[in-house]
Amino acid sequence: MSIQVEHLYKQFRVHVRQPGWKDAIRSLFKREYRTVEAVQDISFTIPSGEIVGFLGPNGAGKTTTIKMLAGLLYPTAGHVQVAGYVPFEQKPEFKKIISLVMGQKSQLIWDIPPMETFLVNKAIYEIEDRVFRQTLHELVELLELEPLLTKPTRSLSLGQRMKCELAAALLHRPQVLFLDEPTIGLDVHTQEKVRRFIGEYNREHRTTVLLTSHYMGDVTALCDRVLIINHGKLLYDGGLDRLTEKLTPYKLLEVRLASIPDISWEAYGELVEAKEGKVTLRVARERIPEVSSQFLQRFDVRDLNIEDPPMEEVITLAFQEGSHVS
Amino acid sequence: MFRKYVVLLRMKYVEMFAYRLATIVWMTGAMVQPLITMMVWMNIDPHQENAFIFYFAALIFVERMTSAWDVWEMEREIREGTYSYQIVRPFHPIHWAIAENIVYKALFFVILVPVWSILAIFVPALRLGQISGTQWLLFFCALLLGAVIRFLFSYMFGLLGFWITKVTAVYGMFEAVSLFLSGRIAPLSLLPPSVKTLSLYLPFRYMVGFPIEILNGDIRGLDIVFGFGWAVAWSLIFMLAVMLLWKAGLRKNQAVGG
Repeated sequence: MSIQVEHLYKQFRVHVRQPGWKDAIRSLFKREYRTVEAVQDISFTIPSGEIVGFLGPNGAGKTTTIKMLAGLLYPTAGHVQVAGYVPFEQKPEFKKIISLVMGQKSQLIWDIPPMETFLVNKAIYEIEDRVFRQTLHELVELLELEPLLTKPTRSLSLGQRMKCELAAALLHRPQVLFLDEPTIGLDVHTQEKVRRFIGEYNREHRTTVLLTSHYMGDVTALCDRVLIINHGKLLYDGGLDRLTEKLTPYKLLEVRLASIPDISWEAYGELVEAKEGKVTLRVARERIPEVSSQFLQRFDVRDLNIEDPPMEEVITLAFQEGSHVS
Repeated sequence: MFRKYVVLLRMKYVEMFAYRLATIVWMTGAMVQPLITMMVWMNIDPHQENAFIFYFAALIFVERMTSAWDVWEMEREIREGTYSYQIVRPFHPIHWAIAENIVYKALFFVILVPVWSILAIFVPALRLGQISGTQWLLFFCALLLGAVIRFLFSYMFGLLGFWITKVTAVYGMFEAVSLFLSGRIAPLSLLPPSVKTLSLYLPFRYMVGFPIEILNGDIRGLDIVFGFGWAVAWSLIFMLAVMLLWKAGLRKNQAVGG
């Protein structure tokens, strides 16, 4: 097992202050604190080489969990093991086999070219010359970094910078990679590139990847397995397909007809829309064969399509209060 | 370790030149206060003009060689969350700060030494002929200790950033006290006797005043031994404090943002 998490908890004590002048002054003398349960009783394991998506709305506890796995935060309770190490012990051997990329923060040194950060990482991760040259060459090819290496980091676009961040994080060939919102703020095209890179890299090097994102695309493209977390609690751990089945007991039936008859569709399913020669219905999974054949018999069908509901819809359902899917 | 330092020093050197102008402005800006203070003292006591010129010129040099800015950097990095990247890498963040200090101070050294030599041609008070070899040796040891104490003091406050978001405000208060007790406003020999005695036991004198006192001959013999004793003691105390605060701070760390 590459990552093992058992009954993990993290509480933060935060200072609360009401807005306004009076309360600003009052808080000088009497500070009020509130305990925030950022992570509550989370357990999961990830075998080596797997890519797992960590999904949840903002403030769900994804980043807090990742930070505990990377050794940045001290867990309030519970056990964490990553590649056989307890992250918070801060052992250099542990730090050498993990890497953390945060989409919102940069590890590249801001005013000088990315190559300088790469060289610093080479030294502090004690990467041999030969291995460094090889890895750098591979990353430069895969991420098309050549023209960026010598420009000051601050003059790079967000997408260019993100590619350099990934390279900086992978130079020491980590066994475990934590990606926290790696595609945040990127345009669709660059998101796609970053995704493809992560997928390829994982296949080639068998790196364990734990990825958080709120772009569905990242997760559907890369992960077979997802962890869904909300309000600090793990709501679901399993395959994407099973999640869809559990949460949405229906499929979308799209039928293209020569003309749309003016009838009630209730007998077939729940109408989503009917326009421009196309009828879309929500049909219970078990009724799909029956309903499709009825359509083919009764109407002049040009085309018929059966689809799972879009992932966004599934996730929205999963995030809803009280939904329990595991 | 040595190779890591070589790489860090090179990187900090490149980075320093990325901010050429800022570095120069910052360096010359820091000379203004001692120069004005010098003129005030020369005006108060014109008989000792030469002694003041020497003291404050030496002060500018020692000040540049020992001053530490780490608390400002760390406050920003902890508050913005970029310090996280230093924690997850397998090399203690303090080494980055040490490398930065070495590079900037080396630059100040190579600029200030020739400037001093040229000025000495025109200003007799700055000529160094009367200083003995032993004095030089002791001066440089005291200077190194001063840089170490001041760096650790600043880094220690930087680590308090894990608890206090605006730690530079607290640091600023100590800086104000230090202005008097380190000998930056006036040579310690001119302070009221009680304040002077107090200054002997606090760390601030060993950050700035002590090396200058060795150089201008204000203190000799046992006084120097006494001074080194306290300087070493304060270095060790701050070193211990930094180690303990680092351990405790990591537990407290909220790794904000992201």
